[in-house]
Amino acid sequence: MKMTPKIFFGGSILVWAASISIMVIFPVISMKNKPSEIWRPMTEKEKEGLKVYVNNGCSYCHSMYIRKVDWGIGAERIARPGDYYGQEPAILGSERTGPDLSQEGGEHTDDWHKAHFINPRFTRPMSVMPSWEFLGEDEIEKLTAYIQSLGGKDADLRIARQKYWHKQAIEAYKAGPDSNIRWLHSKIPDGWRKMPNPYPATEASVSRGKNMYMKFCINCHGPVGDGNGRAAPYLNPPPLNFTLLRRHLEDDKYIGGILYYQIMNGITGTSMPYFKKDLESEKIWDISNFIAKEFIGYTDSDTEPKGIDASYESEKEKE
Amino acid sequence: MTDNFRTGNSPNFQEGGLRGFFSKNSALAFIVAGSAWFIVGTLYGLFSAIHLMAPEFFNNIPALVFGRVRPSHVNTVLYGFVVTTLIGLGMYYTPALLKTKLWSEPLGWVSLFLWNITVLSGPVFFSMGMSQGREYTEYLWPFDVTFMIAIVTIIINLVMTIIHRKEYVLYVSIWYFVASFIWIGGSYFIGNVMWRPSTGALPGILDSIFLWFYAHALPGLLLTPLAIGAAYFIIPRVTKTPLFSHTLSIVGFWTLVTFYSHIGGHHLLQAPIPHWLKTMSVVDSMMMFIPVIIVIVNLWMTMRGRGNLIMADPAAKWVAMGLIWYLIVGAQGSIQSIPQIQKVTHFNNWTVAHAHIAVLGFSGFIALGGVWHVIPLITRRKLYSQRLANLQFGLVMIGLTGFFLVLTIAGLIQGEAWYNGETVYRVLPQLQPYMILRTIFGLFIISGALVGFYNLIRSIRKPKEYPYISASHAVIIETQKNPEI
Repeated sequence: MKMTPKIFFGGSILVWAASISIMVIFPVISMKNKPSEIWRPMTEKEKEGLKVYVNNGCSYCHSMYIRKVDWGIGAERIARPGDYYGQEPAILGSERTGPDLSQEGGEHTDDWHKAHFINPRFTRPMSVMPSWEFLGEDEIEKLTAYIQSLGGKDADLRIARQKYWHKQAIEAYKAGPDSNIRWLHSKIPDGWRKMPNPYPATEASVSRGKNMYMKFCINCHGPVGDGNGRAAPYLNPPPLNFTLLRRHLEDDKYIGGILYYQIMNGITGTSMPYFKKDLESEKIWDISNFIAKEFIGYTDSDTEPKGIDASYESEKEKE
Repeated sequence: MTDNFRTGNSPNFQEGGLRGFFSKNSALAFIVAGSAWFIVGTLYGLFSAIHLMAPEFFNNIPALVFGRVRPSHVNTVLYGFVVTTLIGLGMYYTPALLKTKLWSEPLGWVSLFLWNITVLSGPVFFSMGMSQGREYTEYLWPFDVTFMIAIVTIIINLVMTIIHRKEYVLYVSIWYFVASFIWIGGSYFIGNVMWRPSTGALPGILDSIFLWFYAHALPGLLLTPLAIGAAYFIIPRVTKTPLFSHTLSIVGFWTLVTFYSHIGGHHLLQAPIPHWLKTMSVVDSMMMFIPVIIVIVNLWMTMRGRGNLIMADPAAKWVAMGLIWYLIVGAQGSIQSIPQIQKVTHFNNWTVAHAHIAVLGFSGFIALGGVWHVIPLITRRKLYSQRLANLQFGLVMIGLTGFFLVLTIAGLIQGEAWYNGETVYRVLPQLQPYMILRTIFGLFIISGALVGFYNLIRSIRKPKEYPYISASHAVIIETQKNPEI
């Protein structure tokens, strides 16, 4: 084959054009473009927020679609084409240095986001996200509006739930620390309220719990557990002061199950997120043990009711 | 067969001085610009790496926030360093292989100017928080326009050069070089959705198909043909052997454009796009083995028995290593397009490692080899220092190899952990040592960029006559071997 200019130019353009027709033009013609059941139009403010998101390269670390193989993403909706209807650009992202955000709306409170944008480590101590304080309040607000809209109608439902409980939480907080704690405990299912920590508060367990506390809790609840972490000034209601819990033991003896339940499920309406996606059972019990021993000064771990001791538990280490 | 062929310009600095010399040498200006962008681009890479290691190092400095330095790094290295350098090489070897001058040096300078304005717009506007945000198409619309005009002027210049050629045969390097602009011109316009200037995007999920079509046209239809063109030019010249097979070059050329333009969808295997598009992308990704292997075999066979010449030449070493990276990145690319493998490798540092050996390893190595090969031909002087060229090779080689291994490991840690149920947040601390190592290896690469720039500037300025070598050597032996073409 002789590569004459005619063959060369004609062929190059022709093959390229054929590819374009198959890979680009044909999808334009054939793809149905309809909103999905969770889709809703974005407000002006949310659109502004999307611009902030795009301009500042948030998409280099955050993806915008949940896959079939994904774990650990709160509202587990596998992405559908209609979710992105009219979004310009539907910025899917190619990297997950941070979590996927496609269903982030309503997962956290606005307060939480504000603290998080000012310094991501305020709410997530291990985060490698840069601080966005320099954007200024206005831009951060727009960005927050956009993030809270992710998930469409589903996000709106989550936001509504956040607002409903936020109102009650604020009322409870205003009524004073003790009634606040009574209110918080009243929202925990019965079985959990009367459950001791089934893990013995061994040295190993407590130090593991401390490790986890530093990676998840410290910047809200503070290094001494008094609720004065670095994020506290941004959060309303503020983080709980654990040292008050000593006088709120259930039946004068139980606290482990309460701590476990709150860590696991969070307190919707406040900035306390759920941790059941990040942490599994033993890790949460270890944190409860650490909080109980270190900040409350009392632990119900390994007390009755309990069944047969697990085979590894030693008699000596029991409190 | 020595002739009096010249590259169209007098290398005599006495007439018109350095500026006069440059004005007749837009090719050289492209090369110098490329080496300068190499420093800028890798510095931005360093900023990004520091962020991932110590997120509060540049706390609240808007211009240095990760989301803004990352696109500055990617675009500057890609378009600024690799593509600019490779354009410079082609602007030299195309007229040389056609035994003529570049049709218009002033037009070459217009292309150069517009091209560099485009590249410069990246760091300038991204650092102010102005970006179109879609990966590899971040440049703002006015600079999409300068990009397009630069491409069109280059095409005009090359077509006119071909029309005015004195050598009938179009050597394989010329196919690749000229075609890359035709392909990228069209792909850039479509992939950037240039008819929607405000966002540069289409509404809805359809946009991702446009974006990732372009994002793979970029390595496939720009970086690869540019780099292969340079490799086809340099290797036979250094080994002084005819190209192994004319037929293979033809098959390689046509299979490249056929398969490489179909694979963008493999970035979206887990996203909600039509299934047939994913299937096609995966199939064509596997087919990509063919053009990759063809180039490797063709040039490898050309080098056969001449390894000593390659190793002794400070330029050819880069090119040969670039081809090895090409084999690795090509094989990796095909394999990681398989959906079952992507379950683990998608979304994490595995891909970052892959991208680095594609841009810096494959096309970057060949571009740098091309610089050290072509500079003596343009200036007709010896390189300022072969030892510095070798030092740069060592620095970049150590840096990139370490970088690749470290990020691949980090990617596997992420991918396996996520696949087994860990959250993204929980895996972060495990990556820290690898992020530190990545920064260290990155420093090797930056040092390489600095050493190279110094060597280049000194090579241009240092007056020392160089024994003349005909640049048309490759095409001569090609013609001799295949009298029918």
